[in-house]
Amino acid sequence: MSQPVTLTVNGKTSDVSCGATTTLLTVLRDTLALTGSKRGCNQGVCGACTVLVDGAPMRSCLTLAANIEGQNITTIEGLPEGGDLKPIQQAIIDSDAVQCGFCTSGMILTAHEFLQRNSNPSIDEIRTALSGNICRCSGYRKIVDAVALAASRGGA
Amino acid sequence: MLTSMTKTDFQKPKTVEEAVTLLKEAGDDARPISGGATLVALMNARLVQPSRLVSLSAIDELTQCTYQSDGSVRIGAMRRHRQTAFESNLKAAHQVVSGAASQIANPPVRNMGTIGGSISFADPAADYPPSLVAANAEIEIAGPEGRRRIPAEEFFLGWYETALEPGEIVTAVILPPVSESSVGQYEKLCRIAGDFALASVAVTIDFNASNTVTSLRLAVGGCGGGPIRVEAAEQALIGTKLELDAVVDAAELVVAELDPIDDVRGSAEYRLKVVPRLLQRAFNNLVETREPAQ
Ligand SMILES: Cc1cc2nc3c(=O)[nH]c(=O)nc-3n(C[C@H](O)[C@H](O)[C@H](O)COP(=O)(O)OP(=O)(O)OC[C@H]3O[C@@H](n4cnc5c(N)ncnc54)[C@H](O)[C@@H]3O)c2cc1C
Ligand code: FES
Ligand code: FES
Repeated sequence: MSQPVTLTVNGKTSDVSCGATTTLLTVLRDTLALTGSKRGCNQGVCGACTVLVDGAPMRSCLTLAANIEGQNITTIEGLPEGGDLKPIQQAIIDSDAVQCGFCTSGMILTAHEFLQRNSNPSIDEIRTALSGNICRCSGYRKIVDAVALAASRGGA
Repeated sequence: MLTSMTKTDFQKPKTVEEAVTLLKEAGDDARPISGGATLVALMNARLVQPSRLVSLSAIDELTQCTYQSDGSVRIGAMRRHRQTAFESNLKAAHQVVSGAASQIANPPVRNMGTIGGSISFADPAADYPPSLVAANAEIEIAGPEGRRRIPAEEFFLGWYETALEPGEIVTAVILPPVSESSVGQYEKLCRIAGDFALASVAVTIDFNASNTVTSLRLAVGGCGGGPIRVEAAEQALIGTKLELDAVVDAAELVVAELDPIDDVRGSAEYRLKVVPRLLQRAFNNLVETREPAQ
């Protein structure tokens, strides 16, 4: 049974038609062609699909599109403002913290929200904040460095 | 495509009564959906295909946590784990519940999962069940016949089974009034950050002016089908000052009541070894919270 759903993604409102069990991740990738959010496990475990819902990081693979009408969704594509990268995005580049890139958008969105709450985090706090995002390439070191770098530059 | 167009119908009522009616109408295959962190994962894996989903997200009453005039705290079923972890209404012994909330999964999942969804699913390794038994909580349930309240101990029947009848939903968790001198502690052992508990221990204690234990409740998670309360150990500790000998003896009584299994997280034998350590850690930590080290 497909039904019309109105979603607000990166400030833009779109009407999509989807089933009751269709996830936000599927709509983002297959309907809205926003493929920055990745499908790793589809079970909530890996974090590759993480997006911000009303500013809070959530799993788009566990979020039903029909259940989040009226909420503001931010994906990695919508994070830069007016074309300018956010400090955490620049820091990820400057720290060479991307290998295959599969985890990167989830890492960035999670870290961005964290840095907004904690502008001067310890390394342990950074690791805890990112503990729900799995990276199979980097060994995490450079990602943690990048978050610390963004914080030291005073940004999120 | 991973999620096919199914015949599921989606409803988002504004009141508990409407939700209950919508569930009843659709029969056994209808399911409420709260955070979705378990239900959507099950649907993605094609393990369940509900005929109707009734979202509880738009029901205001379920999203509130209130401190009531009698000193009890009512946590609405839709409160997210992150909210409960930081809940300012939870003080003294009630912190066994906020402590459990803060150790569930990882930050993004804590933004999604709810207390109602967690206890309704009743994973034997989940964090809330032992904490709610230790806190002597009551579960408020709504169904076609109206509302009822039952103690947490009678709610968890073991291995994903609860006292919920078909068509019923959890509407709130109610924590009884606690004295200011009481404390609560939740200790969890897991393989990696964000995993379910291999074993966990929840305790609430009250003391008199000379630091003697006057009341105590204790429950273990991850070591059987549901939270296991050990009254013999509680009785053994009441009247003590939690001296090491008393705790060691009580831990033996606890271990005798456990019924763990071997699974991917650890062997039954290992669980029986770590529970006494978790108990010790819980008592150490809560004594420290109470009397900051000199
Ligand atoms: C990666 C990951 C790691 C996790 N780690 C932990 C952990 O360490 N510890 C832990 O305790 N939990 C853990 N969880 C579980 C999670 O935190 C939630 O508790 C769980 O997803 C259930 O809550 P929910 O609100 O998402 O429920 P939903 O997924 O919406 O629902 C779960 C089930 O309960 C039913 N239901 C929902 N709400 C109600 C209600 N009010 N009344 C009656 N029935 C209802 C649904 O129909 C469904 O069958 C983890 C989950 C994930 C995805
Ligand atoms: S794809 Fe959503 S958490 Fe892995
Ligand atoms: S860079 Fe490959 S998974 Fe993180």
